[in-house]
Amino acid sequence: MIDRVQLREIDWVLIGLLLVNSVIGILLIYSSSQYQAGNFYVRQAIWLLISLGVLFLVLSIDYKILVGFSPYIYVLFILLLIGLLVFGRVIAGAKSWIRLAVFGGQPSELAKVVVLLVLARIFAEFRRTYVSLAFGLLSGAVVFAPMAVVALQPDLGTAISFLPLLLASLVLAGMNRKTLALLLIIAVVAGFVGWNFFLKDYQKQRLTTLVNPGQDPRGSGYHVLQSKIAIGSGGLAGKGFKKGSQSQLRFLPARHTDFIFSVLGEEFGFVGVFFVFLSYFFFLARIFRSIGKSRDRAGIYIVFMAACMLSFQFLINVMMIVGLFPITGVPIPMLSYGGSSLLTTFVVVGLVVNVKMRRFVNV
Amino acid sequence: MKDSPIYEDVSHLLKRSQVVFLLIEVLFLFVAFYYWKIQILDYKNYWSQSEANRIREVVVPAPRAVLTDRGGSVVLVNNIASFKASIIRENCKNFEESCRKISLVLGLEEDVLKKRIEKYRSLPLFKPIVVKDNLSLEDVALIEGRKMDLPELVIETEPKRFYPFANLAAHVLGYMQELTPDELRTTFKDRRLGDMVGKTGIENMYESRLAGVDGKIVEVVDSLGRKRDELDRVEPQQSPKLTLALDYDLQAKAEELLAGKEGAIVILEAKTGGVMALASYPTYDPNKFVNRFTPEEWMALANNPDTPLVNRALQGQYSPGSIFKLVMAAAALDTGTITDQTTFFCGGVIEIFGRPFHCWFEPGHGTINFYEAIRQSCNVYFYNLGRRMNIDAIAGYAEQFGLGQRTGIDISGEKEGLVPSTSWKQRTQKTAWYPGETISVAIGQGPLQVTPMQIATMTALIANRGRKVRPHTLLDGSSPTESVKIPAAIFEQVIEGMWRSANAGGTSQGAKVENYDVCSKTGTAQTIGRETAERLGLKPKTHSWFSGFAPRNDPQLVVTVLVEFGGMGGATAAPMAGQLFQLYKAKYHDRQSPAPRN
Repeated sequence: MIDRVQLREIDWVLIGLLLVNSVIGILLIYSSSQYQAGNFYVRQAIWLLISLGVLFLVLSIDYKILVGFSPYIYVLFILLLIGLLVFGRVIAGAKSWIRLAVFGGQPSELAKVVVLLVLARIFAEFRRTYVSLAFGLLSGAVVFAPMAVVALQPDLGTAISFLPLLLASLVLAGMNRKTLALLLIIAVVAGFVGWNFFLKDYQKQRLTTLVNPGQDPRGSGYHVLQSKIAIGSGGLAGKGFKKGSQSQLRFLPARHTDFIFSVLGEEFGFVGVFFVFLSYFFFLARIFRSIGKSRDRAGIYIVFMAACMLSFQFLINVMMIVGLFPITGVPIPMLSYGGSSLLTTFVVVGLVVNVKMRRFVNV
Repeated sequence: MKDSPIYEDVSHLLKRSQVVFLLIEVLFLFVAFYYWKIQILDYKNYWSQSEANRIREVVVPAPRAVLTDRGGSVVLVNNIASFKASIIRENCKNFEESCRKISLVLGLEEDVLKKRIEKYRSLPLFKPIVVKDNLSLEDVALIEGRKMDLPELVIETEPKRFYPFANLAAHVLGYMQELTPDELRTTFKDRRLGDMVGKTGIENMYESRLAGVDGKIVEVVDSLGRKRDELDRVEPQQSPKLTLALDYDLQAKAEELLAGKEGAIVILEAKTGGVMALASYPTYDPNKFVNRFTPEEWMALANNPDTPLVNRALQGQYSPGSIFKLVMAAAALDTGTITDQTTFFCGGVIEIFGRPFHCWFEPGHGTINFYEAIRQSCNVYFYNLGRRMNIDAIAGYAEQFGLGQRTGIDISGEKEGLVPSTSWKQRTQKTAWYPGETISVAIGQGPLQVTPMQIATMTALIANRGRKVRPHTLLDGSSPTESVKIPAAIFEQVIEGMWRSANAGGTSQGAKVENYDVCSKTGTAQTIGRETAERLGLKPKTHSWFSGFAPRNDPQLVVTVLVEFGGMGGATAAPMAGQLFQLYKAKYHDRQSPAPRN
């Protein structure tokens, strides 16, 4: 399936950056979970190997085939998510887990990839300068269906990370003022209805404490406060690997997942933060630059949505842990502990490389 | 899928993606700047917050000094370990839920628990609030077993004051209570809320010598308050034990004798004033204070009409009755009013200033001399002295004997008593003293008020032939060496009368001990005047007094007994004192055990 030309065109630098960031993630997971039962870093390392394998598997199949099959996979995933909602067990407060042999996984993460492919398929057919209402509604429905199911699990963090896919595709397809206004109205209405009927109290509280984290240091604001203390006390050079008092003494919640970047800030200081910012930035910039190296619209949409999705998750996370965004449980791709999240990231990057390496292919 | 044209113009798509990327670059810059602000500009602030997060200072209370009796082997007060359960509110995930669980585990009413926590609402969230103390070992095991489930409930151990003999010498030892917020602000600035301090007795007077120095542990804790590491430890220091002058056997015997009565017994080392026994009845159990009263228990104790908390030996003020005749006798001899050969005639009653004054012995004692007057406690003899003496002169002698002033014992709350004089009458009642009142004072009635401790101190002064003592509770306590300006010969004459009172069939013969030369005097103090009683048709109720020392020529101990409404001094108080002299003699003389330090 892969010929020599394509092999030569594989973006090894991008894959390299992906691996570097993932290894940094494993180091941070090792430091932050050393007093916890369960060898999280070992599991993450195993997930890394699996994900790498899957990445190459993704490379071996032309993305056009994947895009072509995407609607069927999409229906399958929606059914799976609904099934989880009905039959799933509550793990960490949400019915989002599926258990297979040793490793558990959250299909909602991979669902993002499926949605990405479906959106790429929809917009590949679209050639006008501005998106039409019909396309807008169609793509909206494609995104909101799984998003609603995931939000009901309830896993607000994952649900929210579906949004950049829709937003990215619409932005790329182009929106005139009318559609923009319509979307805004929908957003306001959805926000109003969601706040009053769907958001749980803890979720509302997270939004309100964003405004004033100090008002209830033991409640929702507590996590942000402790995270800020962790990051701030890291100073320029940090407290040293495995020496962060905030993380080692458990003042930080979810240290190895959502707050892994706080561990980085505390133990490696601003130097470490800046280094990871840079390496992350190079990684994202490289994906953005790959947009032009695509042979068709589907490829462009895939790469752009991938870039937006990863940027969105990274920025949301690094902002929420210092109180610039409500705590929503969005993990940092590559750094946070979590097999499904890591696998999803690898598959997404795999798609980007896939598009890039086949740019000269004539079909 | 349909093929797409390869060289389609997608430049507008690329342009849009570049705009989005620019937006993301700006966000990156903004976020990086924000991290720079937190980590570089506000570093100090966050660093100190993280230090405060992880370092906790735990005070290790020092056990208070142990108190023993004079022999050093009987421990009167020590400390035992006590377990208390506290809630740390900052560890509660859900306060309501925590309260519900804790009330189940500890068997407390949920609203009682909440009220207790509410009381300390203003304390910082990480400070433990005691919800139950004196946990049983079963409770401790139960809580320890649920440690993971209930991180907000912690068990602390602290040394608890323990009085092994409960009531014994409660009025000497005193009791402890929790500091009030007021005391915390003024007297005990370096102490903590919830600390116990001595409120009465030795616990109070020697607070600083007993308290010791608290230790502390500086420890690193995690967010659940669990200890992870220890940075520093200073062990608490217990103060050295205090040895009291108290004799366990005498104290126990004294309390046994008083049981069921109301009154006080004081036994002093005659030469030094060391308190060998001080009993006041009814009494209380100081352990109850340590264990924090239930409201009912406290109300019952505080409002008890028999006032168990009052130290009758120091705070009870009574007419001395005939005991005061000892002062009169010495005063009359010293002023030259009489000599030891002077006799008066007692016909059972005498009319002075146109009013009849009765002797207790209605048939009368006939012609009676000085020694016999003391032996038989003849009122008429002393009426005659009173008629010949000035009240202010009497008051002067009474004060020399230590009446009307505090004895200076090292227990707080002592009362002064009252010695009347013309100036006192003028000051308090704005009228002149009239001589008839002096006649009552001469036999220890009238406005005279004394405490049992004053009488014991006075008796020690007589035993020492004029040398004063100051009563004290510690074995190594000291007494002044000053003496009153009355010749020793006069004391010998008074003592001769006292010896006869006990040994020659006198009023205090109930206190006689074979081969032990007890010298003593009884008193029967009227609580209402004889005339008033007769007018009301009542049998006068009297307090029963005894005070004496032994042996005559080498005084070792002074015993003073007061029984409220005990009837005649000779009938009630004297036999009780006799048993105490007997016990002392058996313990320190007959067994040839070393005599108390004198």
